[in-house]
Amino acid sequence: MRRRHRRAEEAEINITPMLDIVFIMLIFFIVTTSFVKEFGVDMSRPSNEPPKTEKLSEVIFVKIDDAGQITIKNRLTDIRAVRANIESGLALKPDASVVIAASRQSAAGLLVRVVDQARVAGAGKVSLVALAQD
Amino acid sequence: MDINITPMLDIVFIMLIFFIVTTSFVKETGIDPKRPVAETSVAKPRGNILIGIDIAGNIWMNNRRIELNQIRQLVEDAVNENPESSAVLISDEQSPTGVLIDIMDQVRAGGVINIAISAIPEST
Repeated sequence: MRRRHRRAEEAEINITPMLDIVFIMLIFFIVTTSFVKEFGVDMSRPSNEPPKTEKLSEVIFVKIDDAGQITIKNRLTDIRAVRANIESGLALKPDASVVIAASRQSAAGLLVRVVDQARVAGAGKVSLVALAQD
Repeated sequence: MDINITPMLDIVFIMLIFFIVTTSFVKETGIDPKRPVAETSVAKPRGNILIGIDIAGNIWMNNRRIELNQIRQLVEDAVNENPESSAVLISDEQSPTGVLIDIMDQVRAGGVINIAISAIPEST
């Protein structure tokens, strides 16, 4: 009777060391986890291989020059009018994609604003190209 | 009487697994530029390749300044670690767009298609 009881006690696995390790891992992961709170706008870049695909008629072309002036359809446009212009362009050709050609010297903030406005206007695909330097 | 620790163990294991799964080791860029504001910006929870660009157009990654031609290698390393990585470019409002475009090309060459430009959501 007494012997049997003792054997049953020995058969139990001691889980204390495992618990120690599990707690240490838990604390490590809690401490190192950082939930990234990075917000951003998606930006796609046309692949540089075959530059044909899109027909020019299906593209709404927005140009940003060195000085930060925005041109849509060869007309100088204020940043606040970009959205309306793109909306009217999309109304004419709903499948059009917006291509933003930015000068290499223009400010990135302006580019993001234009992309943002295009998104608000409902453009599905916004891509970015660099203006050739002259 | 022993306290029954089995329920606690269950919870501890679940927490452990949760934290193991959600942990992604973010490498800070080392700079904190003035981000542009955008209405359509959304959270990028998978963005663990962070590339910073300061006003002068210098590129920062992993807390140090790097050159343009190093980006591709660093991006490839990050993809090897976590194939679902996406990149977030943290650019200053005044940074030149040319640098931004060059970096986007390098990141693509490194095998990451999902690229976003960091922006502060407007409705705060």
